[in-house]
Amino acid sequence: MEKKIGVYICTDCEIGKALDIEKLTKVAIEMKAPVVKSHPSLCQKEGVEFIKKDMAQEGVNAVIIAACSPRVNYDVFELGIPLVERVNLREGVVWSHPANDEDTQMMAEDYIRMGLLKMQKMEAPEPYKVEEPSKNVLVVGGGLAGITAANEAAKAGYEVFLVEKNEALGGWMSRIYKQAPTKAPYAEMEEPEINNLIKEVQQNPKVKIYTSSLIEKIDGAPGLYDVTVKRNGGAETFRVGAIVEAAGTVPYDAAKITEFGFGKYPNVITNYMMEAIAAKGTMVRPSDGKPVKSVAFIQCAGQRDEKHLPYCSATCCVESLKQAKYIRNQYPDSKVYIFYRDMRTPGHYEYFYKSMQNDAGVFLTKGDVKGITEDENKNLAVEVENTLLGEKIQVNADLVVLATGMVPVSALGEEILPPGVKPGDEFIPYVMIETDILNLEYRQGGEAPALINGYPDSNFICFPYETRRTGVYAAGSVRAPMDIPSTVADATGAALKAIQCVELTSRGEAVHPRVGDISYAEFFMQKCTQCKRCTEECPFGAINEDEKANPLYNPTRCRRCAICMGACPERIISFKNYSVDMIGNMVKNIEVPEEEEEKPRVIVFACENDAYPALDMVGLNRLQYNSFVRVVPLRCAGSMNLVWVADALSKGIDGILIMGCQYGDDYQCHMATGSYLAKIRLSKVAETLDRLKLESGRVQMEQVSIAEYYKIPKILDEFIKKLEGFGPNPYKGF
Amino acid sequence: MAAEKTKGILVVGGGISGITTAVEAAEVGYEVTLIEKNPYLGGRVAQLNKYFPKLCPPNCGLEINYRRIKSNPRVKIYTSAEVEKVSGAEGDFDVTVKLNPRYVNENCTACRACVDVCPIERPNDFNFGMDKTKAIYLPHDFAFPMRYVIDDKVCKKAECAKCVDACKYNAIDLNMKTQSLSLKAGSIVWATGWKPYDAKKIDNLGFGKYQNVITNMMMERLASQNGPTKGNIIRPSDGKEVSRVAFVQCAGSRDENHLPYCSYICCLASMKQATYVREQYPQAQIFIFYIDVRSPGTRYEKFYKKIQQDENIKFIKGKVAKIEEDPATKDIIVTAEDTQTLQKIHEKVDLVVLAAGMAPSTQESKIPSSVSYDTDGFITSNTGVAGMSAAGCAVKPIDVYSSAQTAAAAALKSIQSLVRR
Amino acid sequence: MAEAKVINPDLDFVKEIINSGGESLKKCFQCSTCTVVCNVTPEDRPFPRKEMIYAQWGLKDKLLNNPDIWLCHNCDDCTKYCPRGAKPGDVLAVMRKKSIEENAVPGFMGKIVTEPKMTLAALAIPFILFLAVLGLTGHLGIPDGDIVYSKFFPIRYIEVIFISAVILAGISYLSSLSRFWNNISKGSSQPYSKGFFPALIETLVEFLKHSRFGKCEANAGRKNGHLLVFYAFAGLAITTIWITIYYYLPEPYKKHSPISLADPMKWLANISALALLAGTLLIVFNRLKNKGYEYRNSSFDWTFAGMILLLGVTGALTEIIRLMGVSSIAYPMYFVHLLFVFYVIAYFPYSKLAHMGYRTLAIAYSKMANRDIAV
Repeated sequence: MEKKIGVYICTDCEIGKALDIEKLTKVAIEMKAPVVKSHPSLCQKEGVEFIKKDMAQEGVNAVIIAACSPRVNYDVFELGIPLVERVNLREGVVWSHPANDEDTQMMAEDYIRMGLLKMQKMEAPEPYKVEEPSKNVLVVGGGLAGITAANEAAKAGYEVFLVEKNEALGGWMSRIYKQAPTKAPYAEMEEPEINNLIKEVQQNPKVKIYTSSLIEKIDGAPGLYDVTVKRNGGAETFRVGAIVEAAGTVPYDAAKITEFGFGKYPNVITNYMMEAIAAKGTMVRPSDGKPVKSVAFIQCAGQRDEKHLPYCSATCCVESLKQAKYIRNQYPDSKVYIFYRDMRTPGHYEYFYKSMQNDAGVFLTKGDVKGITEDENKNLAVEVENTLLGEKIQVNADLVVLATGMVPVSALGEEILPPGVKPGDEFIPYVMIETDILNLEYRQGGEAPALINGYPDSNFICFPYETRRTGVYAAGSVRAPMDIPSTVADATGAALKAIQCVELTSRGEAVHPRVGDISYAEFFMQKCTQCKRCTEECPFGAINEDEKANPLYNPTRCRRCAICMGACPERIISFKNYSVDMIGNMVKNIEVPEEEEEKPRVIVFACENDAYPALDMVGLNRLQYNSFVRVVPLRCAGSMNLVWVADALSKGIDGILIMGCQYGDDYQCHMATGSYLAKIRLSKVAETLDRLKLESGRVQMEQVSIAEYYKIPKILDEFIKKLEGFGPNPYKGF
Repeated sequence: MAAEKTKGILVVGGGISGITTAVEAAEVGYEVTLIEKNPYLGGRVAQLNKYFPKLCPPNCGLEINYRRIKSNPRVKIYTSAEVEKVSGAEGDFDVTVKLNPRYVNENCTACRACVDVCPIERPNDFNFGMDKTKAIYLPHDFAFPMRYVIDDKVCKKAECAKCVDACKYNAIDLNMKTQSLSLKAGSIVWATGWKPYDAKKIDNLGFGKYQNVITNMMMERLASQNGPTKGNIIRPSDGKEVSRVAFVQCAGSRDENHLPYCSYICCLASMKQATYVREQYPQAQIFIFYIDVRSPGTRYEKFYKKIQQDENIKFIKGKVAKIEEDPATKDIIVTAEDTQTLQKIHEKVDLVVLAAGMAPSTQESKIPSSVSYDTDGFITSNTGVAGMSAAGCAVKPIDVYSSAQTAAAAALKSIQSLVRR
Repeated sequence: MAEAKVINPDLDFVKEIINSGGESLKKCFQCSTCTVVCNVTPEDRPFPRKEMIYAQWGLKDKLLNNPDIWLCHNCDDCTKYCPRGAKPGDVLAVMRKKSIEENAVPGFMGKIVTEPKMTLAALAIPFILFLAVLGLTGHLGIPDGDIVYSKFFPIRYIEVIFISAVILAGISYLSSLSRFWNNISKGSSQPYSKGFFPALIETLVEFLKHSRFGKCEANAGRKNGHLLVFYAFAGLAITTIWITIYYYLPEPYKKHSPISLADPMKWLANISALALLAGTLLIVFNRLKNKGYEYRNSSFDWTFAGMILLLGVTGALTEIIRLMGVSSIAYPMYFVHLLFVFYVIAYFPYSKLAHMGYRTLAIAYSKMANRDIAV
């Protein structure tokens, strides 16, 4: 269908007073917009009707609303057509720049122009629909998290495949004797819930259970995963839509903690071994089967320790208190010592701590255990300093229990860095630990990338399920150290995300953070040079490679960040409504005044997630920023293609500023590596600038979060001041 | 299978947990109604300057979540709304919602003309009374919806009505009345959140008595650019810069006289706030008095280690139980025992930040349903009513990350209720 | 680096503390709120946080010879603010009782008197003794005529019994205190900052003013009760001695009982008795009203408060009934009163009253060891 563009300029909210609307209209007409109109208040009912009338009567099917920011009145301007573009004249121009000013007017005119060019290049995206997408869920790992995820997904009506490598379901939880309290008054141990859950999952007809099974490989993408499971020497393949990774943890190897004599002294055991002893019924020690009347628990054994596990396993304090109860319940004359660094009983566990303290035979102190010695009868002596008793002490114990931490199964493998990346590099795009959990057929490696200490956790505080593999959701202790209630909640949440992924995929929509986006990347393969940049740089591993290094794009893995589009030197990757050509056109058509006019031009490529809203906040707060600036929103700073820089500079634009999210350790980029990639690309631009005989300072990267909006005017002023030092871009007027 | 359901999910509470529950369920394909008592969404996290341990701004995540709401027609939101009555059963709840008048309708463009003419001021509760707004005000500058509201406790209404004349958009309606909304829901998620424990009740810590003793939530506002001091951390008594700051952990938490449980987030929050001070005042000395430092897991422990590296931040194991003021300078003297050296220490500081704990909102105002509570007023994780679940800090004191996990879980639970029918 | 001290918690001792009124002991999680809110604790190695962990760990040695438990005045500021409900005030009170018991000479007396269950047995001793003396001397009966108590219980018998009791108790008490002094001072490595007598005098002057007590906040009311009881005992001691002196004065100065109500000495005695009653009642009411933060003293303290109250009440009744002239009640009442007088005097070294000496020594020691606080 022929595109018929209508441009609607709102004159409300000071726009009409601050700008020459007639001139703006003229600009749009010059740009050959078939319908150009202004209205006193587009967002009010009459305004919307005004547009709708044109749609009905004039056949306008692509609407440009030159009014307020797209962040407001989003619902009002829901016109039922895909091609609606908002030109931000209110927050972006009149609220942040002087009224009735020549430069402000020029800015508005450029934005109208850019909006039109964008619309001209824009096509309505059609969702990528997988034929018969699978809505089944694969759960890897049959412990508490896996079983919970399976049960919960099945309860919502989805078919689940549950794969467990051991013979029996239950994982670590089926080996504990009692579980710590989860219910008020939080003082009594509970029977492990896992047995009921196992029963439930076994009886659920929607869950197909594979025990003694391993995932040989998982091929495909969300909605289309073909899973090959090895069992009893045979292999079986089935299709699923999404995956919950609930592989759990293993205990840290206590033999490595040499200072506590594990492996040397038979009566030094781990908290894991303690559960086994308790489960047998009589609390006796390994060396001679003597009842244990004096037991010392050493917290943080090999934890919070750079030599071993640098982290806290989050559950050991509560677990040791619980195990102290095993002993105290059995022997009223027993003494249990707990030496802790910090007693970590958060939330309601404080009640359990209190109830255990209140037992006369439990002796607690903060302290650093210096060493353990053994006498000829295999009795142990524990030396502790920095205690609350005000001195260094020694206690004698029949048994010492080390609270060793947990290591995620996802950390048990070789760490493989992406090609060309060395450990210690400033930028490591992802850390892949090759274990045997998922065996994904992904070009970037077979597992979900690790975030910290080998855990494939989410980097985002607000979005715990926003990980680096679409459709793969880690749950339970494999994702982060956590207790039983958190594991249950986490696994339920992961099941929700898996279900959500299959539903979105079946509708052809992207998952978080561009949720609902139906556009997807298209590759013009004839021009591909097999440079591999897209396959390497995609933060989500969405692009595989064939033997000839041709990219094989998986739309359902894609998060639509367009980082591949920014990476591609041949510019063969585009989206229906976002392309190199489209932005390039906008950039090239910014009006650049003659040198003598002393009106420099600066392009700000602003990340849509944070920097663009931040610029909006500048306007909302009526802060003023330089009107030589032209803001071009990008899906992600990482989607910036260097050709835009070259285009802009060769057109006479004086400087280019990229506003992306924070990168580095605590990166805030929701496309993981996008903002950093933008920075890398910019650093490579120096070459181009040399060729153009320009100063490399004309391009700059800034990290801006939405909360830092107040810094923006200064950033821009300083940048423009720097540019003034360089003098005007000599390419002006070419 | 989704989307065909006629009855949707009701989420009560528009903080991070409620928002997350709502968008997660809606993105699966279910109809969700989200109701919030305040005139804006975001709840407690909207008041925070940064999140630990990443020190990233909460408004970043909220912005994304608001976008998820904006772009999803399946989510319907009501602010200034409270649940009044719930009847029925799983799959078929009848809910009466009270819509409190905002006095400002959808026509509002947030142009501010009304504020300029409004003659009445009120203490700004968003900033814990540390500054004032007019009687017509924007709750805060990231407010969603971005719309003004009138405080009907102070507004003189028809008697004044200056704002009505100033508004070009007919957005102000001083005759707005409380309305009642009836809706049907298949399942309900209570995400009613928490409120800061009233630190005035801790009589030995001087809050409310000494100006330079503030709470951790007040510190968040002081450090926020959109807070009462434009992000300058200064002493409330005289606006002076601070050079010595004491953080008092467990102010109310882990205390039978106040909140018997551990509020989970305060250790990390104080460490985070120490970075606010250190960033603004490179010479500042910080004292963190604690009983146990609780930074469980991977990232929190890493954050703790990072803070410990800072030579100007001193951790002292010993609870501050006495706070006095030097009446001449308004400096504050905090006293604790360093339990490692067995010495009483007295530090004279410019500012004291009490790590006041989290009290469930349901401690005082119970929800109109027969869900069960624990002794502290938290909703029990199994609410005891089929078709109802709870998420976030309504259940126990947790961080944002865990709140979002429980919210996703609650979304699935509420979907199951609809599927079961 | 210091040698590690081998620690072997005495579980029985922990249970003993718990069973003697310190049942909240184990709830302490060592936050040290108690030490901070305490106004009578020193800056260096303050109490009662460390005493709480010693007690939790059953470290008897560290506790019983610990002068700090005696510096505590049971103000209960710690108990009021304790976030765990561990009631350090109560636990230290139990510690003091244990300290009296452990330091007692002879040891068995300590066990008998400090054990509330043994109270009746303790009272049975004077009961039998008095009955025996009166029976053997033929005084077991209500004498005729005006009520003169010496007709019933001749003064010389009283003198023999009570003076011997005072001597025995005095010897025991001095031995106990010297044992205690050795225990507390033996660990001291630092040189003293002042001598014993200056420290002792300072301490006694403080006592006259009760200035240390004045620092209590949560339980400020206790100071007045204690002050009344303190001066009441002082007054009663003076009058008792004085009356003995009256008795032996040459005629016409010699006075016989009953002493005239107009006698200034009788005034002092009566005022002291009233003060004793009022003070004890104040203490008792104070304890009851402080239930707000679940304040509860050990039963040891309650027993003693009861004894003092009974002493005062029987004393007052003895006088009143005599004045009313009801001899059939007056003499038995006198007999009962004497039982309590005996109890207070003979068991002094093992009772709550023993704290006088222990506390005096502990405070004097704290002054010598430079651990004093400003009062």
